Amino acid sequence: MSIVFACAASHAPGITAWTEAAPKEQADKFLASYRKLGERLAAAQADAIVAITVEHWANFFLNSMPTFCIGRAAHYDGPVEEWLRIPKARIPGDAQLAAMLINVCLEGGFDPTVSDELLFDHATFLPMHFLNPNMAVPVVPVIINTLTTPMPSAKRCFALGELLGRALAKSEKKIAMIATGGLSHWPGEAKHGKINVPFDRKFLDNLLTGDVSSLTAYTHEEINAEAGSGGHEIRTWIALAGALQSWKAELLAYEPVAPWATGCGLVAYNP
Amino acid sequence: MSLYQVQKLLYHVNRDAERRERYRRDAAGFVKGYELSDNEATAVLNVDIRTLYAMGVHSLLLRPFTLLNKVSNEDYAKALKGLE
Repeated sequence: MSIVFACAASHAPGITAWTEAAPKEQADKFLASYRKLGERLAAAQADAIVAITVEHWANFFLNSMPTFCIGRAAHYDGPVEEWLRIPKARIPGDAQLAAMLINVCLEGGFDPTVSDELLFDHATFLPMHFLNPNMAVPVVPVIINTLTTPMPSAKRCFALGELLGRALAKSEKKIAMIATGGLSHWPGEAKHGKINVPFDRKFLDNLLTGDVSSLTAYTHEEINAEAGSGGHEIRTWIALAGALQSWKAELLAYEPVAPWATGCGLVAYNP
Repeated sequence: MSLYQVQKLLYHVNRDAERRERYRRDAAGFVKGYELSDNEATAVLNVDIRTLYAMGVHSLLLRPFTLLNKVSNEDYAKALKGLE
């Protein structure tokens, strides 16, 4: 089989933790699109989910901060955050698929950290709540450091996605690929609450038109200034775009939700 | 005297229940376990948001630490006012 489903999705904790703080119409529209993606994933009957994701001090600190990390655990517990309003659960991993991807990386010019134990925070757990609501489809997390400098370049993230996508397209399993993070937000910063709608729209436009040269040209400084410290998470979306270059991106939702302090986007991919 | 040590302290309090309990029981004693300058120790003990932020503490370490110290969204934003 091969890749049977793919999407990119925001994971702002407010989506579940303070849903009702958002204007009802905006929240309803966004949540309905998130659930629709969940239905599409279920219909695709995926054997495993490869989640290109990030984390927020759940597992790693500055004594050792991997640029790329692939989880090879038997299972993942989460969410770390008690206040996320998502019940605690254990999601199965897929160590065999993870090992295959790690080998693909090592053969293909990437040397990821390997972890046999990871906790999931809202970055992975919130998308799972909507896309894998029974927490039954096994997950392989591919974590990109978007938390602290130095971070991998957009070009490098795209190349990692390209490598993973090529391998997964030949997989014997039915694979769902997801990317999670972004879009513009400044969590916990003096600018907390700011959303850069023009930046988000331009980024989404680059995805929808498959503009590889623009996607790989984003610099750290540009993202930092225009999309905030949280905006660095768009690297996961860029990696997914690298994995699915012959697929067509479809915008399901974009809502700059002020009470969630994030430009919230949902993009589905169609073969 | 290092930002690294300040962030390490916050990371431990945020993520490790046993250390969090020790911090809650005896904050002054707890900070002595880290190599902090007097100013850094004072900023941590006073939960001096503005000073910690200005010294470069990561916002996703700082905000959870202030939440554990029951700082509201409004007070947090007020402490950072003008630093945008």
